[in-house]
Amino acid sequence: MRLINAFRAQTGSEAARSTGSPQPPTAGPLPMDEETYLELYLDQCAVQDDLVPPRSPLFSPVVPYVYPPNPSNPETTFNSHLESKETSGDFSSVDLSFLPDEFTQENKEQAVIRSKHEIEENCETQSQQSRLPLPSGQDVGPGLDSSSLSSSRSHLHPGDANSIQSSPEKANSNPSPLASITPMTPMTPVSECSGIVPQLQNIVSTVNLACKLDLKKIALHAKNAEYNPKRFAAVIMRIREPRTTALIFSSGKMVCTGAKSEEQSRLAARKYARIVQKLGFPARFLDFKIQNMVGSCDVRFSIRLEGLVLTHQQFSSYEPELFPGLIYRMVKPRIVLLIFVSGKVVLTGAKERSEIYEAFENIYPILKGFRKA
Amino acid sequence: MPGGGRCPDCGSTELVEDSHYSQSQLVCSDCGCVVTEGVLTTTFSDEGNLREVTYSRSTGENEQVSRSEQRGLRRVRDLCRVLQLPPTFEDTAVAYYQKAYQHSGIRAARLQKKEVLVGCCVLITCRQHNWPLTMGTICTLLYADLDVFSGAYMKLVKLLGLDVPSLCLAELVKTYCSSFKLFQASPSVPARYVEDKEKMLSRTLQLVELADETWLVTGRHPLPVITAATFLAWQSLQPSYRLSCSLAQFCKLANVDLPHPASTRLQELLAVLLRMAKQLAWLQVLKLDKRSVVKHIGDLLQHRHTLVRTAFREGTAEMETQEKELQGRGQGEEVGNSSLGLPQGKRPASPALLLPPCMLKPRKRICPTPAVSTVTGDESISDSEIEQYLRTPQEVRDFQRAQAAGQAATSVPNPR
Repeated sequence: MRLINAFRAQTGSEAARSTGSPQPPTAGPLPMDEETYLELYLDQCAVQDDLVPPRSPLFSPVVPYVYPPNPSNPETTFNSHLESKETSGDFSSVDLSFLPDEFTQENKEQAVIRSKHEIEENCETQSQQSRLPLPSGQDVGPGLDSSSLSSSRSHLHPGDANSIQSSPEKANSNPSPLASITPMTPMTPVSECSGIVPQLQNIVSTVNLACKLDLKKIALHAKNAEYNPKRFAAVIMRIREPRTTALIFSSGKMVCTGAKSEEQSRLAARKYARIVQKLGFPARFLDFKIQNMVGSCDVRFSIRLEGLVLTHQQFSSYEPELFPGLIYRMVKPRIVLLIFVSGKVVLTGAKERSEIYEAFENIYPILKGFRKA
Repeated sequence: MPGGGRCPDCGSTELVEDSHYSQSQLVCSDCGCVVTEGVLTTTFSDEGNLREVTYSRSTGENEQVSRSEQRGLRRVRDLCRVLQLPPTFEDTAVAYYQKAYQHSGIRAARLQKKEVLVGCCVLITCRQHNWPLTMGTICTLLYADLDVFSGAYMKLVKLLGLDVPSLCLAELVKTYCSSFKLFQASPSVPARYVEDKEKMLSRTLQLVELADETWLVTGRHPLPVITAATFLAWQSLQPSYRLSCSLAQFCKLANVDLPHPASTRLQELLAVLLRMAKQLAWLQVLKLDKRSVVKHIGDLLQHRHTLVRTAFREGTAEMETQEKELQGRGQGEEVGNSSLGLPQGKRPASPALLLPPCMLKPRKRICPTPAVSTVTGDESISDSEIEQYLRTPQEVRDFQRAQAAGQAATSVPNPR
């Protein structure tokens, strides 16, 4: 409540300041009252006034308000969420739950993670779109701004079938809303995007062949198999293309490791199943599931691990006596990151490729904060 | 002793504490009857005579706590006493052990794990009080493997949800340096090698801080850095007599184990000091090397803050590769410069990059990013591809014969 009153007190100065910056577009039908719009604008300004630059995705749900309303836009859920609050000037029933009380780093990140989670929930079927899009093979350097802006926008409009194609057009055809957004939203949405894509290094998957297997027979008839029952109760089989290793158990369950992509893992598992079939077993291919994905990348600057463990104590574990890297257990998404002083980052524990990308985008701003010694 | 104790013989209340052969006894001053006699009493009679008995010594605890937990708690207390920790640490460590023991996973663990758990509880307690205890010390005391210890430690921290602070470097320096046997002359330590403790401590601390600032400590085990820093501090306090002593000899005469990475840390620290020396005008002309720079460590440490700022600059990995390219190109020119003699050398060296050593080493060939594979996962699999992995019937027979022969050979007993 104090926060809201403070905003109110600033209204006078805000209004004076806002005359300098381009006005929010009044042209075109807005889905809600001017009053609620003003209150949202004030919220944004008050947060901008804060010492720590606010994290961008926090405001990305608010950005679409300045666009001409799109009925198929899933962000209308946000619309109604905020609309339902009130139309009178009373701020007491305003639900500002998405704005944390203290604009500390952790709260911001949690709010970021929360809002991102809400966005993610909306786009459940977008397995291809959830990959970090660098549309039409643009270079990371000069094209970064436009591509990441369009990619972040496609992130926001997952419901639209042709959102990825339409967003570049939107950027070109509606210059005025775009121009008016830029002063209001902080620069961070574009500049925070890291431009680094983690490479997948290993995929672990399991499949059920659904028949009992004679491991001795498999080891006898297959050239690429090794079986040492005293050491381990499974046949270890390897194929050259894709270069993978499989553990085949007598119950018919199989674990396939070493592939560099989900499709390669599936192809390799099918090849192993085919080998077992050729050996005379009625093998099937049931319940193929990816259990773990490992990715790695390089942020290209050195990181003060001691500082990181101090500020993010609840997530990090740094024991130089045991391991040279810092173990960061991210909550959302549930990924474990190994962060090294040289700037190399290893991400593991993902079931989906998008989780790795999301985790890296979450950690990159944190690491940039520790860039200077 | 005042307070209502009565002599069982004469019933008087005049009981005095007396000690007989260093065993304290309560004696009646009237009839001389010994009321309590150290350990040769029961807790019941002790409590009857108003001697408090701690819960851990009474039988009450034993009934509620399992024997293995009792053993573990005893081990925790023993470890705390061996390490000469303050008494409050003991209670905290015991509390952690009890808390851990409430989890079924811990209760069902092997004895080896429970033994290591004792060390973990003590370590966590020490860390929370900034007491510099290293895992190596605990593993040596418990005869435990560091791998087993690390696994148990990480599990315990996760299980109890604890915030364990990092090892306090300053405290570790003080404790570790004090363990060096260099502060008094002895048959193994010649007079020239004896050093004042305070001077050595302060200089070592400064060197360790310098190492921390220049990325030599992050990600590395702290102890070898401190060993190298102690050695340099000791050498620099009387370089004329001590330059001839090597790191290994130093550790031997100080009666301290030499950790393996210490020699690498020593070289890294010397390289940093050399870089700093290049910024000081009166040291540039001397053309210092790794041995002669030791004589000037005192000066360098005095101005270390300025020197680090001028000698190094912030950098990233890209800058490093660019630098290497420039260096390669500029190599020919540099040779020309040095042949011109002194005037070129008077200019302070351009700042080097302040980066961890792992980023300064020559980069391995960057493996090319794997080509975007167009595998869909649903392609058809050709029979020939599968058959390449299968043995032909003839090969199977050969293999079986070979296996049988191999087994026969191993099972035939050696003729004596």
